[in-house]
Amino acid sequence: MALKALDIYKLLPKKNCKECGDPTCLTFAMKLAGGKADVDLCPYLDDQAKSVLGATTRPPIQRVNIGVGERSFAVGEEFVLYRHDKTFYHPPGILFKVSDTQTPEEITTITIRVRDESFTRIGTELRFNGIAIENTSGSADAFARAVMTVEESADLPLVLISKNTEALIAALVQVGSYKPLLHAATKENFRELCALAKKHSCPLAIKAHGLDDLKGLVKDCVTEGVKKLVMDISPQSPGDFIATSTAIRQLAITRQSPDLGYPVFLDATHPYLQDAAIALGIVKYASVIITPPLSPASAKAALTLRQNIYTDPQKPIQMNPGLYRVGSPGKDAPVLMTVNFSLTFFTLQGYLESTRIPCFMLIVDTEGLSVMTAVAAGKLNETLVRDSIKKFDLEHEVSHKTLIIPGYSAPLSGRIEEATGWKVMVGPRDAAEIGEYLHEEWQKQKS
Amino acid sequence: MGYDLHFGWTGAIGKVILGATRSDGGTRKISYQVGGGTTLPLLDQDPLSSSPLVALEICDNPEYWSPIVRNFCGDLVDSVDDWAKTAETVYGADLVRLYLTSTRQRNFSDIKSVGKTLETVLSGTALPLIIEGSNDPKIDSEIFLKCGETAEGERLLLGTAEAGRYRSIAAAALAYNHSLIAQSPIDVNLAKQLNILLREIGVQRDHILIDPYTGALGYGFEYSYSAMERIWFSALKGDTDLAMPMICSAIDSLTIKEVREAEPALQDDMAMQWEFYTGIAAAAAGSEIVCVRHPKTVGMLKKAFASIKTAAGSTEVKK
Ligand code: B12
Ligand code: SF4
Repeated sequence: MALKALDIYKLLPKKNCKECGDPTCLTFAMKLAGGKADVDLCPYLDDQAKSVLGATTRPPIQRVNIGVGERSFAVGEEFVLYRHDKTFYHPPGILFKVSDTQTPEEITTITIRVRDESFTRIGTELRFNGIAIENTSGSADAFARAVMTVEESADLPLVLISKNTEALIAALVQVGSYKPLLHAATKENFRELCALAKKHSCPLAIKAHGLDDLKGLVKDCVTEGVKKLVMDISPQSPGDFIATSTAIRQLAITRQSPDLGYPVFLDATHPYLQDAAIALGIVKYASVIITPPLSPASAKAALTLRQNIYTDPQKPIQMNPGLYRVGSPGKDAPVLMTVNFSLTFFTLQGYLESTRIPCFMLIVDTEGLSVMTAVAAGKLNETLVRDSIKKFDLEHEVSHKTLIIPGYSAPLSGRIEEATGWKVMVGPRDAAEIGEYLHEEWQKQKS
Repeated sequence: MGYDLHFGWTGAIGKVILGATRSDGGTRKISYQVGGGTTLPLLDQDPLSSSPLVALEICDNPEYWSPIVRNFCGDLVDSVDDWAKTAETVYGADLVRLYLTSTRQRNFSDIKSVGKTLETVLSGTALPLIIEGSNDPKIDSEIFLKCGETAEGERLLLGTAEAGRYRSIAAAALAYNHSLIAQSPIDVNLAKQLNILLREIGVQRDHILIDPYTGALGYGFEYSYSAMERIWFSALKGDTDLAMPMICSAIDSLTIKEVREAEPALQDDMAMQWEFYTGIAAAAAGSEIVCVRHPKTVGMLKKAFASIKTAAGSTEVKK
């Protein structure tokens, strides 16, 4: 069970030397108690204290970084079973798989796709995270060549998958310093793989089936000195995955089985269940997911689901209220009012940009609620609109007094007119129709 | 050492029966018992516990339907009984959910036609049915009673009761022994309140399915996902007013930007994947009936659910 900050403090050297990055031993102890720091940060701890503290103070799920540089990502460090209990912190990395039996052209195309493809939602760029290279050929040379082919086109996080230690060694000669994830240590080869992981400071995947075997292998690897582990639970089916992964998460966060406190790895390769596996992986605790390249439709759906599930439920993504410009609007440009829910903002902004009519967006503070939700909750009302017009000095920004409001807020139009003295035009309900609306209605009322 | 996935919970999801076969006084070829879960969704290893069901949504006036489905289905959408039939024979749905969109015309008053439509659909397919009544409180009472009466004995699932609008549908369900869908906007407490209201006017727990309202993927789905998890979790902890099985329909999936604005060649695929990812995630959060509109999503979901179910039994994660 978790130790209290004071109990931890008693075990610290009490030098207050700040080398851990904290001002005092006590603040460091508080961080440790919250699972927010690593005992290794204090250089003066004796081994005894370390072993007592290590198991209980590290986050219930070990944090593991994969890759180096801009696209590197962290997984693990999760604390809850349900996102509504707090939030999920580290979205799973999704990596496309290539094989060393593919031609260099094929490998390059996939690599470049992962390097360049991005899909912007709510102001965030959604991307796949890297490339997993599989040593299907069995040949160390072919594997090293495939890894080089990937490396030549992009600096992406990698997973190196081989049953042949020689092949991994050959690949690591090329990319050892980029912290690829090595896949995978088993009961048979864990010593060799741990040695490799240590030599290159790489994270290591272990592969076993069943909780007992996983625990055993984790212990073996930790004894060999490798702590940055991810667990390939090698499920026999999506059903097996969700049962095992849920059990692991539950046992890890309650610290009933600290040996299972490592991120979960999922190979989603399957002739027709690949999308099911990915969707279940995203919602049920996978941290590294590898999959053959996805179709454009699956790609967008998967990235969107991941974004949804890893949004902090306590704070919907919000915009700062204010007056925003689309293009360079003049004083006679239209003013469109909307809420500060970022999804609404970016949706409307996207459509406004494509109309090519410069305009203003007046974003009012509905505490992150969408138009319909804000209207239903009474958060969007005439007082808010009046105060926002004042606060953002709209009267001086434009030379007219006409406000376009969202179609779904039509019931408020009369009250807004009364409270503000502005003329209100009710826009369409669907932002997709805003271009047509501006071209017709706005131009009409101007003339 | 194995591991018990029941985590010490004592509650269970209630059971609801949908559809009646001849031996139960109906004409359906199968009836389903949904609910009964005693641990997290999809984890029950009891071979008798149900796997999520897939319903194909159809309607009797395609003017009000997604152009994507209309293009994909062609003339089929003009004949609601054939549409219902292909749901069963071609696409392999477990249930058919019929939206009486014809009633959405202004000043609709041809209640008789609703009975006729329902009859043709009942003869078009032998699957259990979900019927979505009118959108207009003024005609609710007549429409629901008509549906209830026409399909007496069939154990329909009638939709949709909401906080301000549940009496007519409850009356029809009570009079003709059908079940109903209780929908509340993404909120555990509202879901519970509605169930209490329904209970107070006599609707039994085993005749209610909760629809916590499903926002489309990317458009509020995360809220729905968590609401479902919380409802399920409350049930496991023993709250019987939330212990009804859940149904989800992400009806906005086919109108959101990513799907609507997909290149024509990709549009069907985009629609299917959007529904599919939502359906899988909703099932993982506890939805036991997943409703979709693209016919091709049905088979994808069914295969996936089958793989989850069969395998959950074979894992070594057991007591
Ligand atoms: C997710 C969601 C929630 C989330 C909140 C999400 C958020 N940040 O707002 C939660 C779970 C918290 C929630 C709560 C509630 N919700 Co709610 N919610 C939704 C849901 C599923 C999606 C909302 C959404 O994200 N839409 C996407 C955004 C982009 O839409 P939008 O802001 O409207 O913007 C569009 C248009 O309005 C237009 N537009 C926007 N700005 C402008 C500006 C101009 C000038 C123009 C022309 C156009 C335009 O463009 C956009 C794209 O087309 C909807 C159902 C739905 N299909 O909309 C229900 C829904 C809005 N909620 C509803 C209700 C009743 C509520 C609650 C009151 C219920 C409750 N629990 O008490 C609460 C109120 C909140 C509160 N604080 O108490 C009802 C509203 C019913 C009604 N018509 O009045 C809905 C419709 C669900 C339903 N059918 O019952 N909700
Ligand atoms: S490094 Fe160790 S001794 Fe120094 S302040 Fe931090 S905890 Fe205290």
